[in-house]
Amino acid sequence: MKYFDINLDLSEDDIALRDAARQFAEQEMRPVAKLLDRMSAEEGIAEDSPLWPFLKKAYSLGYHKILLPEYYGGLGLSPLQVNLVYEELGWGSFGLGVLLAVVSFPFYLICVTNNDEMIEKFVKPFCDCTDGSIRGCWAITEPGHGSDVIAVGEEYFESPKMKGDIRAKLEGEQWVINGQKSAWVSGGTIATHALLHIQIDPSKGFAGNGVCLVPLDLPGVSKGKPLEKIGQRDLNQGEIYFDDVRIPKDYMFVDPDFYVEMLDIILAAANLCMSCWSIGLSRAAFDEALSYTKERIQGGRPLIEHYTTKQRVFDMFARVETARAISRAAINLNLNISPPHVEYSLVAKTQCTEMAFKNTHDAIQLLGGNGLTKEYSAEKLFRDARSTLIEDGNNETLSRHGGHILMETYPRAPLDF
Amino acid sequence: MPVFTKEVATELFGELWMRMIKETEFGPNLIESKMSILFVVDVPDITMFVDENGPVFDDEAKTRVPTVTMKMDGDTVHKFWLKQIFIPKALAMRQIKAKGPVGKVLQLLPLLKPGQAMYPEYCKKFNLPI
Repeated sequence: MKYFDINLDLSEDDIALRDAARQFAEQEMRPVAKLLDRMSAEEGIAEDSPLWPFLKKAYSLGYHKILLPEYYGGLGLSPLQVNLVYEELGWGSFGLGVLLAVVSFPFYLICVTNNDEMIEKFVKPFCDCTDGSIRGCWAITEPGHGSDVIAVGEEYFESPKMKGDIRAKLEGEQWVINGQKSAWVSGGTIATHALLHIQIDPSKGFAGNGVCLVPLDLPGVSKGKPLEKIGQRDLNQGEIYFDDVRIPKDYMFVDPDFYVEMLDIILAAANLCMSCWSIGLSRAAFDEALSYTKERIQGGRPLIEHYTTKQRVFDMFARVETARAISRAAINLNLNISPPHVEYSLVAKTQCTEMAFKNTHDAIQLLGGNGLTKEYSAEKLFRDARSTLIEDGNNETLSRHGGHILMETYPRAPLDF
Repeated sequence: MPVFTKEVATELFGELWMRMIKETEFGPNLIESKMSILFVVDVPDITMFVDENGPVFDDEAKTRVPTVTMKMDGDTVHKFWLKQIFIPKALAMRQIKAKGPVGKVLQLLPLLKPGQAMYPEYCKKFNLPI
């Protein structure tokens, strides 16, 4: 369903991009997401899975390179345009929206390094890819570590007791990698390249980590089974194992000298994306609830004409508008300044995902028994939204991190340039 | 002591920017990507604005509205042009601060490479350390 945008200054380009993304979300994402949701995780990535033609279509339209600069063949979207497009993709499917972003993460970070050789070798082929065959993933979570891998500011974060499940050791001109990432790596079992967070200096705990690029066709890389889960079942996730995997020295982009600061930058970007998709998810729940309550007759009149339904539908609408306002404000700030003010990304992620969860809950309540069935999308949206409260750092951990930043920086001084 | 004085920096970058615009793909690339840049430099205190027409400095530069603003100190500017700065680290550690769409900032980095190739010549000319 279309919506009225309270930003009256959208350009023709903004509107065209949004409308094209909406059409893609409705015609391509929704049907495939529904199919994948009902398949097993293994079936979802089997040779005959609808995932592959979907990815081919998405890549051919450029939805895999939304975050990449135009100079290298990316779409070069403005912060507002990223928000507009990601909202639509989140409406189509939160899980597939995540997948289309994480496939680009390793290549995005290479752009930041400005390393000509790696840009030619990795970024340009990714941008030129139209068949979905080059797929990145963001490998940060570990089996022995959940949100504590992002618990910057907690005393344990820098403690040697924080032993990573994966380590890198420099041998001459190569890093040697051993260990594993957890089953929560989005796109993990189908990725061709990983943006890998890895422990380099265990004496500094997770502050001794680094971030590197690993082509996943190297000897010693293997993958686990795709993960079965309740929400975002259309998003492939799974373990990656590394056994004496060797990468060139310059594939390590981030070393312990600035890992903590870089982690914040990466998190700020990831959390902004989460907020955008959450608007779409909130709106999807609102759309379904509004349509249903206009058609469903109870007590001799449409549900929407009942007092409490009107109130609930309005609350859902208000959450969509609030989420959009928060997300756009945060993305407008943090995709326009480097380094970002991370607390605003954290506000956007935590609030938008909470609102998405409330909206999907309300949608089920309004649909009643029908909301619990597979006949309607409300139950899938609800399961997808539940996952967002944990994904990319559970909201409690992110809020704690936000509080830590406030403790150290509030009130922020105005930008001095 | 900073690596260059305000006078040296103004003369050096006045020449460098003009050469980049006239002799390399930097000029056409600026036009094609609709980019302009404001460099806000501390120690020495210089503001440079650059678009396809060339650079302007200080008071005139401060009146312009750029696509991307980059702020750093003079020594970091010198290292940046010598390609002795690792950009992710400099951004993370706030040695370089940027304002403007992140996509444009990322696009700016490769555009400046012709100037980085020429910069060592200017270091010799102005007797700056390499």
